[in-house]
Amino acid sequence: MGRPDLSRRHLLSAAGGLTVAAGFGFAALGTGADALASGADTRVRYWNLFSGGDGANMIAMLDAFRKAHPGIDVKDSTLQWGNPFYTKLAMAAAGNRAPDLGVMHMGRVTGFSPGRLLDPWDVGLLAKYGVREQDYNPALWKRGVIDGKLYALPLDIHVQLCFYRKDVLKKAGLLGDDGRMIPVTSTDEWFDVLKKARAVQKKGLQTIGLWTNDQNFQWWFFVAFYTQLGGRWFNDDNTEVLFDPDKATQVLEFLRRHVTDGYVIPGAPTGEQFINGAPFTWEGNWSVPVFSGAKLDYGATPLPPVFGKQATHAESHAFVLPHQAGRGGATNEGAHELAAYVVTHALQWAAGGHIPAYTPTLSTAAYKKLTPQNEYVSAMDHQATEPKVWFAGSTGVLAQDLGPVVVSSTMGSAKPASVAQTMKRHLTRLLASKNPMDGRTAAQGGAVA
Amino acid sequence: MTTSAHMTTGAVAAPARARTATAVATVRRKQGFQHGGWFVAPFLALFVLFVIWPLLRGVYLSFTDANISGDAANFVGLDNYREALHDSAMWDALGHSAYFTLLVVPCITVLAFLLAMLAHHIERGKWLWRLCFFVPFLLPSTVAANMFQWLFTQGIGLINETFGLDTPWLTDKSYAMLAIVIETLWWTVGFSFLLYLAALQGIPDHLYEAAKLDGANAWHRMVHITLPMLRNITGLVIALQILASLQLFDQAVVMMDFGPGPEVSTRSFVQYTLEQGFTSYRVGYASAMSIIFFVIIAVVALARMWLLRNREESGR
Amino acid sequence: MTTAVQVRKSTRKPWTPSQIILTLLGVAVSAVFVAPIAAALFTSLKSEAEAAEIPPHWLPKVWTAQAWKALWETGNITNWFINSLVVSVCVTSVVLTVSALAGYGFARTEFRGKGVLMGIVMSGLMISPAVLGVPLFTTVQQMGMVDTYWGMILPQCAPAAMVYILYKFFQGVPRELEEAAFIDGAGRWRVFFTIVVPLARPSLAAVGIFTFIASWNNFLWPYMVTNNPDLMTMPNGIATVMNSYGIQWAQLMAGGLMAGLPLIIVFVFFQRQIVAGVAHTGLAGQ
Repeated sequence: MGRPDLSRRHLLSAAGGLTVAAGFGFAALGTGADALASGADTRVRYWNLFSGGDGANMIAMLDAFRKAHPGIDVKDSTLQWGNPFYTKLAMAAAGNRAPDLGVMHMGRVTGFSPGRLLDPWDVGLLAKYGVREQDYNPALWKRGVIDGKLYALPLDIHVQLCFYRKDVLKKAGLLGDDGRMIPVTSTDEWFDVLKKARAVQKKGLQTIGLWTNDQNFQWWFFVAFYTQLGGRWFNDDNTEVLFDPDKATQVLEFLRRHVTDGYVIPGAPTGEQFINGAPFTWEGNWSVPVFSGAKLDYGATPLPPVFGKQATHAESHAFVLPHQAGRGGATNEGAHELAAYVVTHALQWAAGGHIPAYTPTLSTAAYKKLTPQNEYVSAMDHQATEPKVWFAGSTGVLAQDLGPVVVSSTMGSAKPASVAQTMKRHLTRLLASKNPMDGRTAAQGGAVA
Repeated sequence: MTTSAHMTTGAVAAPARARTATAVATVRRKQGFQHGGWFVAPFLALFVLFVIWPLLRGVYLSFTDANISGDAANFVGLDNYREALHDSAMWDALGHSAYFTLLVVPCITVLAFLLAMLAHHIERGKWLWRLCFFVPFLLPSTVAANMFQWLFTQGIGLINETFGLDTPWLTDKSYAMLAIVIETLWWTVGFSFLLYLAALQGIPDHLYEAAKLDGANAWHRMVHITLPMLRNITGLVIALQILASLQLFDQAVVMMDFGPGPEVSTRSFVQYTLEQGFTSYRVGYASAMSIIFFVIIAVVALARMWLLRNREESGR
Repeated sequence: MTTAVQVRKSTRKPWTPSQIILTLLGVAVSAVFVAPIAAALFTSLKSEAEAAEIPPHWLPKVWTAQAWKALWETGNITNWFINSLVVSVCVTSVVLTVSALAGYGFARTEFRGKGVLMGIVMSGLMISPAVLGVPLFTTVQQMGMVDTYWGMILPQCAPAAMVYILYKFFQGVPRELEEAAFIDGAGRWRVFFTIVVPLARPSLAAVGIFTFIASWNNFLWPYMVTNNPDLMTMPNGIATVMNSYGIQWAQLMAGGLMAGLPLIIVFVFFQRQIVAGVAHTGLAGQ
């Protein structure tokens, strides 16, 4: 009894000792297990935030790049979209352990401290790999230029859309001769359309998906309709709040009415409802592959101009170079090459519903044949965007502060008029607050805007 | 017992014992002075680097407008604290953490006690009950939270399906915190359960037997023997739970996809602090909030010590 | 032999009505506790489409190991597993070493300022990465340890609670045992390693097991200090890095079970020691 026990104990302690030694060895080495296995000459670490259909497309494009460039090992990592992503990117850059290439939303670039957390692109190097300024919409390219240097290389424009099911709308007599939804130009017309659709839709489903309790979507919709009303945020010098609570109240009441009139089931999963037969849903264009994959007969237009003027919320994904103290060399060149490759091979990306930023793609016959992309490509001409201040941008401080407030109105826990006042208060406070990265307010950060 | 041992040795060889005692005392003092510091040094080094220094640094940073980049910062005096006092979002976050604590602590204490009583009184398969009630605690917080996020999701979640409900657990502000509380109960009750179980097993049998002889029924035995004997462990369970619950973070962020919950109804104090520091890059302001939080935690801990001392004194 | 024991037991303990009721109650409550884990297991054995089906159902209609296979093939999870192992093993061995030394030092040796130091260390019970996260991060950032194993490991290596538990234990060790060795001419260190440490084995085991559990399951600190997905630990990777095809519940559940499984196995094997350890910790805390 004693001896086998003893030898087992010896074995256990030997195994334990080995594990401890291996653990410390690894820790001393300091790299992940994966880095040890890689043998390629140049290793480009690339962080992105693409999940769902976008993620699949990005992986397909990366695989194509890998096949064409066997000397470059692309190590891509997908992090959860939203704040975790920006937090991690900022912390990695601040800790000087940033990846070689990253993706950001354009609106976040100004607040992300170009020069401190981001490095500028080498425009000459980009041109060498086929990306030049004249291939871009000038306004879009300029959004990435700060203090005369390019910090963000735009990949696409993505917009909020009104998806509709042609099968349901046809029954309700809401399709025009071209097979597209009849245009809507006022709130009355819009609710009339919803009423007609509800009369013919499958029972038990909602009529429209509005993401009523999602602070991001509600904020984006608010920005779109507030822009349709011609509402402004700040004056040009960013010294004064021009936010109009009356216009805001109109928008909030419009959003709220979808709930009070019973067109929405709050909390119901919007995509699943649409696939199961709900006539409408308002989603980002990234839902295109989901609905196409489900083989639905559907169309997609920009958000209806119910306040008279066309405008829909738009943002752009852009490639950035997170700050590295010793940026340069083959890895940096590899990052340029990879970004240029993805930008110029954007047709695949357009399949994900995004409007390519690289204009030569737009004029190809292949792009013009894409449906429903060809129905909403015009959206890029009337973009509703957040004000160009340091606290704006996708899931930025502005959206974080105002999004939940909009939700509270839509969900009915606060009155639209008082919510509009709350929004104005938040905007006043934010305008006076200093950008923690350089200690300047929006008004003082002239170069940024 | 030690005294009796001394007395026997003393009785056998008193003079020899006295001599060795002085020798031992000198040896002990010499050895102690020589090495005592070295025993403590490795721990102290780590402790100073990763506990004391960050605390001091936090105090310093809280008086500056430091940002995440680590660049030189400006001294801003009490501005951060002044701002914090007027920051309604911070008070809301503190409120959420306090509300969570208020819900979780009594539930966990009662549930852990009941589970321990159950496991203690079933005569067969003790290891099985122990395993079943404790196993959730062995899961990483994020894994447990992911499981419940999925169970609670409207439409595809099994909780609504099993109980025939259609509750928007994760998307409505009146349910979101409740969902987090339920997840926390399931995940952490096992630890307090084990503490209670150990305490129950430590109650001497003869107390119960004596009570039985006196004709006390089961209820009386529980009220007059079990509960008083568990007073200390209950104090410990409550104190540990309060401290842990105030630091709510993991479950809440994972179940809410790293957001603040429906209409900002689940953002905890820790989450808000980290958002200020790492999302808004305001390290100075976040440090001020950390210090405020430290004071709150310290007050809770000191209150417990004070209560303990009071009870001990009144008990004597 | 086992059957013999059981037979003896069952003759001694008859199935009284109250025992039957209690056992049934125990089974019901256990079912509630195990159900979420069982659900996760079943979901991990569904196809992704079935895992997201409306309405959901408990058992897979078609049993498939696709989620587990995909998990292995995408590779991240094996990386994270190794990282978790490295971090937890290092943390546990460092904590055991330094807190045993410190606990003994505080309990049995004399040096100037001991009382004050002890007080300061005890105040450390109130400090955690949740409380002081941001300043702790900037400290580690200054040391250049963001996104390194050491950055994850070292800040977890100064737990005042473990020192306190071992301090309490060492206080209870009879002084006579050491004194006899001193008279034989042994030094402090020899006494510590040859007499005190072997005596403290159960306490050290408890401290070790709890440190390992805490470190394996730790999310907050690794979440703050690692950004590079290659360096993440299991809980962190599962929570923050999604694979590129959106939330895939079947894979997520499979990954979660993989993260939880090692500790569950450890618990099944070392149940007695762990329960004793909890009792021990609890007693120290009282």
